[in-house]
Amino acid sequence: MNPPGSLGVLEEKEEEHLAPPILGPSIHSDNPQERIQARRLRIAARLEARRREALGEYLDGKKESEEDQSKSYKQKEESRLKLAKLLLCGTELVTNIQVAADIREIHRRVEEEEIKRQRLEKLENEVKTSQDKFDEITVKWEEGKQRRIPQELWEMLNAQQVHCAGLIEDKNKLISELQQELKMKDDQYVKDLKKQSDDICLLLERMEEQVKNVMKTFRQELQNIEKAFEVERQELLTSNKKKWERALQAHNAKEILEQQLQQMKATYQLNQEKLEYNFQVLKKRDEESTVIKSQQKRKINRLHDVLNNLRSKYNKQVKQFQEENQSLTSDYKRLVLQFKELQKAMRHFALIDDKRFREIWLMNEEEAKDLINRAFDVDRIISTHHLGLPWMAPDFWFLKNVGPISQQQQKSATQILEEVLMEAEKEGADEDSSESETYLDLPKQVSARTTRKILMLLCDESGFLIESKLLSLLLPLEKNECYLLRLDAVFSALGIENEDDLYKLVNFFLKYQTHHSPSSQEPLDLRAEKERSLVDGKSQEKEPPPSPKLIHPNDVLKILEAFVMSLRKPRDFWVPVKLLKAVRDDSKDSEYWEALTTVIPATTLNLWDALYTALEKYHLVLTQRAELLIENSSLERQNTELQQLLQQYLDTKINSELQVPPTQVFRVPTK
Amino acid sequence: MQDTQTTESPSIPSRSSTSTQDRSSTVGQTLSSAPQPSKPTPIIPPLAKSTGPGSGSGVRRMRRIIAEDAEWSLAIVPLLTELCIQHIVKNFQNNPILKQLLPEHQKKVLNHLSPDLPLAVTANLIDDESYWRRCCTQRWPVCHVDNHGGSWKRMFFELHLENLLKHFIPNTTDPAVILNLLPLCRNYVRAIRVDQFLPPVQLPAPPRGGDQSDSGSEGEMEEPAMDHYQLDNLVAGLSHLEELDLVYGVKDCGMNFEWNLFLFTYRDCHSLAATVKACHTLKIFRLTRSKVDDDKARILIRSLLDHPALEELDLSHNLIGDRGARAAAKLLSHSRLRVLNLANNQVRAPGAHSLAHALGHNSNLISLNLRLNCIEDEGGQALAHALHTNKCLTTLHLGGNELSEPTATLLSQVLTINTTLTSINLSCNHIGLDGGKQLLEGMSDNKTLLEFDLRLSDIAQESEYLIGQALCANREAARQRALNPSHFMSPVTVKGPENPAG
Repeated sequence: MNPPGSLGVLEEKEEEHLAPPILGPSIHSDNPQERIQARRLRIAARLEARRREALGEYLDGKKESEEDQSKSYKQKEESRLKLAKLLLCGTELVTNIQVAADIREIHRRVEEEEIKRQRLEKLENEVKTSQDKFDEITVKWEEGKQRRIPQELWEMLNAQQVHCAGLIEDKNKLISELQQELKMKDDQYVKDLKKQSDDICLLLERMEEQVKNVMKTFRQELQNIEKAFEVERQELLTSNKKKWERALQAHNAKEILEQQLQQMKATYQLNQEKLEYNFQVLKKRDEESTVIKSQQKRKINRLHDVLNNLRSKYNKQVKQFQEENQSLTSDYKRLVLQFKELQKAMRHFALIDDKRFREIWLMNEEEAKDLINRAFDVDRIISTHHLGLPWMAPDFWFLKNVGPISQQQQKSATQILEEVLMEAEKEGADEDSSESETYLDLPKQVSARTTRKILMLLCDESGFLIESKLLSLLLPLEKNECYLLRLDAVFSALGIENEDDLYKLVNFFLKYQTHHSPSSQEPLDLRAEKERSLVDGKSQEKEPPPSPKLIHPNDVLKILEAFVMSLRKPRDFWVPVKLLKAVRDDSKDSEYWEALTTVIPATTLNLWDALYTALEKYHLVLTQRAELLIENSSLERQNTELQQLLQQYLDTKINSELQVPPTQVFRVPTK
Repeated sequence: MQDTQTTESPSIPSRSSTSTQDRSSTVGQTLSSAPQPSKPTPIIPPLAKSTGPGSGSGVRRMRRIIAEDAEWSLAIVPLLTELCIQHIVKNFQNNPILKQLLPEHQKKVLNHLSPDLPLAVTANLIDDESYWRRCCTQRWPVCHVDNHGGSWKRMFFELHLENLLKHFIPNTTDPAVILNLLPLCRNYVRAIRVDQFLPPVQLPAPPRGGDQSDSGSEGEMEEPAMDHYQLDNLVAGLSHLEELDLVYGVKDCGMNFEWNLFLFTYRDCHSLAATVKACHTLKIFRLTRSKVDDDKARILIRSLLDHPALEELDLSHNLIGDRGARAAAKLLSHSRLRVLNLANNQVRAPGAHSLAHALGHNSNLISLNLRLNCIEDEGGQALAHALHTNKCLTTLHLGGNELSEPTATLLSQVLTINTTLTSINLSCNHIGLDGGKQLLEGMSDNKTLLEFDLRLSDIAQESEYLIGQALCANREAARQRALNPSHFMSPVTVKGPENPAG
């Protein structure tokens, strides 16, 4: 009835105890080979023990977890049940002896009790009968005392003796019976002892047998279990091997596929890594963006605040600026007034300046003319007196000029137009006279007629530039006047204001003609005409110019456009010109004054220079001669003085007092 | 006189365990041979070597390297430490130096100490188990260290003390022999198991007839002279005593048998009662085969009332009757007794009644053994009634009690209700066929009973077999239960009911 757990321990112990004596070779042996063998065996045994232990532990663990009916589990369970049964039976077998002894003891006790009771009964009966007998005997003793007859007494005594002997015999019988019983008991005790020792021997035998049996069966069961495990393991191995083989075959067949798969996996891995990386990056970015978002939100808030501030500031500033504006407009008005006054003053000053300028000019001119006259006088003297040449007073234009050089005012475009138109009218009457006059104004290469033609063309083509009201007004007017007004309107629209612009326009037309005509059929005529003009010089002008035909009316607008475009740029700078109309041109002034300085020509100057140097030399010679004369006279005077001194020294007494008078010294060299 | 007694002593264990002699001797050899290779030959000349290693040492001299010896050294001149250790070992008796040494040196010294050193030197100085193991194995061929708590030192002192007690002869042996040992062993002895107390020797051996020795009346007259050794001084000195297992009798008396050799006198009884009462650490008290009758049992049990530690009381194989049983019943309700063994006494129905009464309200007792008494149906029924209310008892032995069907009927009812009982023994009763059937019925509703002994109780084989089947199922269920909550609990739970039965 031992529990299975403790049995396992017991059995293990048995094995451990039994293991050492099995060793064949001893480690104390003389033979080193045997010793090595012994050690090897020992190590193997240890490993085996460890393995078995591990296996046992593994089994224990397995028992709980694995409930499916594997072969080993079945075997194990079977063995367990078998062993439990064996133990139970064995224990029962062993304890049977005890139980048997118990029941025997009980039976003995029962029998003993029975016998005891019988014996007691018997003894009591015996006591009773013997008491009866004794009483009988004692009664008889009384009777005997009454007997007087000796025979009777003897008889009676004999009878008593017999009775007593019977009593004693009874007692003795009882005693012997009891003693017999005692002997029997003794015998039985010895028998019982023997029986008990037999029982004990049997018990020991059974126990030993049980132990042996249990050990044997345990070992057997262990072997069975191990075998079962081995078989299972083998099965597992074979099945696994089969699986492996199959897998290997499949592997061989699928190697290529697997390679591809591997590649795919690799790419997948790569992609995954990339994606992961991207994902990480995106995550990071997301985090950053959230951070930035929050920052931006904060910034937005801040900016909102700033905006509000700025708005309020702006409003404030608007107000301020309005105020400022008002103040500035008032200032401006004031300034405009001031400016007008200033202009007035300026005009006034300009007039005064002109006047003063004129005065100064006249003064300077007078002075210069005086100087020039003096110079002329000197020149006349030099040439007549020194050189003996006849002198001619030079005649220059500027000498006759008195007052500041006043240039002609620039004519406005309209004036020129008038002129041109007037000329055109006059043309028929006297060509030459008018031409000579107008040639001053117009550029040389452009004839008035050409100009006129161009202008007429322009006037016809660019009617759109003239206001419709003006046109209606112009209708009743004369043809020339009509042209004039229309051109005036056109020019004002084009921005042509003065003479130069007009000429520029005309020139532009002509240039355009030369540049763009080659594409058409006319260039040949133009070129021929040009050549002719070059050859003929002035005469060509008189011929009717082909220009109106040359410029196609359709081109006029293009030319105008181009002209306006080109004119616009420089025109911007001209804006202030209007104000400075009064400024006079002083370009000629310097020329004038320069001319005044060169009244004496360079040749005469050179002549003067040469004369001057010659006179200088002459003067130098004269002065040297004068110096030499003075020196000579002074030297003569010195000589006389020195002669006087020498004479004086020679006459003094000191000379005689000296050992060697200087006179003698003078003499020595003289000697 | 003592010498003559000691010469007997080796034969005692050898006889008691002749069956296991050869096996245990091999074990002993393997055990004893284990420390021998560790004995270094170059340091100590073989002190107590048997022939085996002696021949081996001769071999060793020829070998250059001995791989098995951990202390073998190639150095020709031994180290100074070795020499010192050698010297310490040599003079250990006069100058015991141990605690001052380094641990490894201590170990060496202990390995080389002789087991023959006087106990006065070693007892309180050496705690090393291997030394005491050597002492034990040298003195006793069979050593069951498990019976002594797994401690070799405890085993040594317990066996030594037991040996002294066994051979103590009152008025002849000097009590100082035991009392001198007391200071040495007081901390180590936890159990005293003595199966023999020698009576005082009557120097003028009366050459009277055998008739005198036969009668018990003779012994009573000489009782004062037949007192055995009084344990009171010894037990009072042992501070950790837990178990007291005594048999007042003489072993191996052979043809010198006399009834008065087996006398447990009143003085003995009183002194033992006082001793047991004074010993507050006692857990197990066994007094078997000592002719304890009702009066002596009452004396003993009275002293055991309200004992603080007692858990097991074994008074089996005595002469206790109903009065003693009543005293034991009183003890049940006045102590924390867990195991009560009254096997092979003379308890009858009244005693069983009183025991049953105590059992009905008891919540400590686990095991009750009334084997080979005579409680009969009346007592059996009383006990069965008590089991209706008891929720503690797991083991009940009623073998050989003249029980019959009425008890079986009641017990079958108990079986259906009770869930604590795991083992019942009703062997050697007259249960009868009907009783067997009733028990089978009761068994069919029970899921906890693991053992139910019904051998030789006149029941049908069929019912016995079916009961066996039910028990098997219960055992399997118990095993599963034990496995699932905790795997390692199983041996304990199943072993529990085993001990009192055996």
